[in-house]
Amino acid sequence: MDVAFILAHVPDYLSGAFVTLRFGLYGVGCSLVLGLLCCLLRYFRVPVLRQIAGGYIELARNTPLLVQLFFLYAGLPRVGIRFSAEACAVIGLTFLGGAYMAEAFRSGIESVDKAQVEAGACIGLTRGQNIRYVIFPQALATAVPALFANVIFLIKETSVFSVLAMMDLMNVADTLRTSGGRTTEVLFMLVAAYLLILLPVSVLATLVERRLRYAGFGNQHSV
Amino acid sequence: MKKLNKIFALALALTLLLSLLVTASAEGFRTLDEIKASGKLVIGLFSDKKPFGYIDETGEYQGYDVYLARRLAEDLGVTLEPVSLDAPNRIEFLQSFKVDIVLANFTYTEERATQVDFALPYMKVALGVVSPDSALITEPEQLNGKTLIVSKGTTAETFFEKNYPEVKLAKYDSYTEAYIALLDGRGDALSTDNTEVLAWAIENPGFTVGIESLGSLDTINPAVSKGNETLLAWINEEIVKLGAEKFFHADYEATLRETYGANADADSLVVEGGEL
Amino acid sequence: MQDLGISILFKGVNFQRLMGGLWVTLRLALITIGLSCLFGLLFGMLMLSRRKIAHIFCRIWLEIVRFMPQLVLLYIVYFGFARLFGWDLDGETSAVIVFTFWGTAEMGDLIRGALTSIPRHQTESAAALGLKKSQIYLHVLIPQTMRRLLPQAINLSTRIIKTTALVKMINVTEVLKVGQQIIGQFYRQPDAAFWVYFVIFLLYFLVCWPFSLLARRLEKRWA
Repeated sequence: MDVAFILAHVPDYLSGAFVTLRFGLYGVGCSLVLGLLCCLLRYFRVPVLRQIAGGYIELARNTPLLVQLFFLYAGLPRVGIRFSAEACAVIGLTFLGGAYMAEAFRSGIESVDKAQVEAGACIGLTRGQNIRYVIFPQALATAVPALFANVIFLIKETSVFSVLAMMDLMNVADTLRTSGGRTTEVLFMLVAAYLLILLPVSVLATLVERRLRYAGFGNQHSV
Repeated sequence: MKKLNKIFALALALTLLLSLLVTASAEGFRTLDEIKASGKLVIGLFSDKKPFGYIDETGEYQGYDVYLARRLAEDLGVTLEPVSLDAPNRIEFLQSFKVDIVLANFTYTEERATQVDFALPYMKVALGVVSPDSALITEPEQLNGKTLIVSKGTTAETFFEKNYPEVKLAKYDSYTEAYIALLDGRGDALSTDNTEVLAWAIENPGFTVGIESLGSLDTINPAVSKGNETLLAWINEEIVKLGAEKFFHADYEATLRETYGANADADSLVVEGGEL
Repeated sequence: MQDLGISILFKGVNFQRLMGGLWVTLRLALITIGLSCLFGLLFGMLMLSRRKIAHIFCRIWLEIVRFMPQLVLLYIVYFGFARLFGWDLDGETSAVIVFTFWGTAEMGDLIRGALTSIPRHQTESAAALGLKKSQIYLHVLIPQTMRRLLPQAINLSTRIIKTTALVKMINVTEVLKVGQQIIGQFYRQPDAAFWVYFVIFLLYFLVCWPFSLLARRLEKRWA
């Protein structure tokens, strides 16, 4: 193991990790918003928009991110719609992630016992208060494991950003590999970098799940 | 307990079988006799680099490199088995013996010669830079601070990294992706072999080769796996022999004349008989 | 230029070659799904064993799958093993190894979940009714396991089909690469890239969507 090589290239990997993390988190954030929006559109059965949301979820869940990115980055500009590489990264990740987040939110909301909703109405809560104090906390407690699993999934999906000529972690590793060999060291650092990014996310997920568990106790079918 | 032992035994057996299968396939390069005996010559070619190596609408490989590939297979009395590759994979395909010869517009460099063996040259080449007519780049210094599109694993990549570090490089895995990037304005210019950018610029109005010859005058040579002496010797004999019948000039007429036009000079590109 | 860009896909054998490229990934996916079912069954049973060492083995496997993007695993097997062990694996073999590694873990988890979710009283009641062990498996346990398992297994299969698109990054000539070869024929067609990538996007959707619908219908029927 050539330690000198490893130490010399730590800055490259750091900048790559920074790109991966930055655009990964932008994508995750936008996915959460889009997912919540789609879920609510379907829950409240908003006409027309509900069908659009449903169609979008089907489209996003049944196509690979790599193909979506090629279409966004190299296909659309040919008919005049041009996004920067970074925008394509975030749009692509959001397109994919929004669908998965929507499903996670949906499973959360559906898990809340109807009795809870009715009980809330019985004691005089308005619809808004009901959602805020009764449904949402319980839905979130059930959805959080799935949401965090999606976060980890999305950060792993960023590994295809190299097709956008972005110097993310994978591209840094690939460039080093093609320009000089030392394959073992390059791959070792790649694995270490992804672990350093994803382990904290996983630990955070466990902590959050634990703290939210109280909200699920009202629902005898959860936990 | 019994079930568990069975599971472990099965898993162990499968792992052993897998490793056997895999190690069995790790061979070395194929010598000339082995190639003749097998009846096929495996050659790595570009499949998206018109007019040097591409696939036409009938599904056949065509191009300046492919013309040579077909003749080599014919003279050896075997069938040609083309394998599609991209610029960054050329060395790796030879090092892992996935192909016998690489005829993918492979430029000779000393660095590459430490990893593969090159035969006699069959084409002259230097670097060229193509850019949009509206913002023509005529000197490499004009690219400082701007973005230059290159394909990974090409001489253009190493040249600009070494000599013009202020130029931002956007690196793509294949020629198709690189050219689409130029069309979409993802860079201010694109650089690769001048023969290639010239051909592309002719077919794409709105773009001109502002820098026609950059860096040293290099050659394109066939490449084989390191140490494959029998194959290397045979290819060299072939190239000298083909020189006598002006093969590469015929190759130029058949594959490149249409692109470059009637006024272009074949001798600026062609190397006959391996002699510059 | 009056030619609609999509017509390039129907020139000569272009479309057949595109479908051939799609078949490359589908074939890999089918092999992976088959092997994952087989090994997943073993993995699932291993997860249920009482031996501590089996648990540790499964845990390590699961964590690798959880924290490493599939593309990184592909690079490790395709490039890394070649240097480390001198194995000459082509792209397709590496893909089958990596995706089966991933698929086995996920399938094993599903099987374990399905097996443990069947209440013990089912087995006990069946025994009380006088059914033999083999009859219990055949008529009670396996049908119920299948019902919980099949929709999720079909979802996993869809994900496997989508993930096989990644083999483009390790030099396998699959549908995206064939698409690029087709684009490379027609420099004078300005919107070729749009149509080619759009059609590939559509092809993946048309392949995966029926499976998603099937899984959803089975889930509704058997819930």
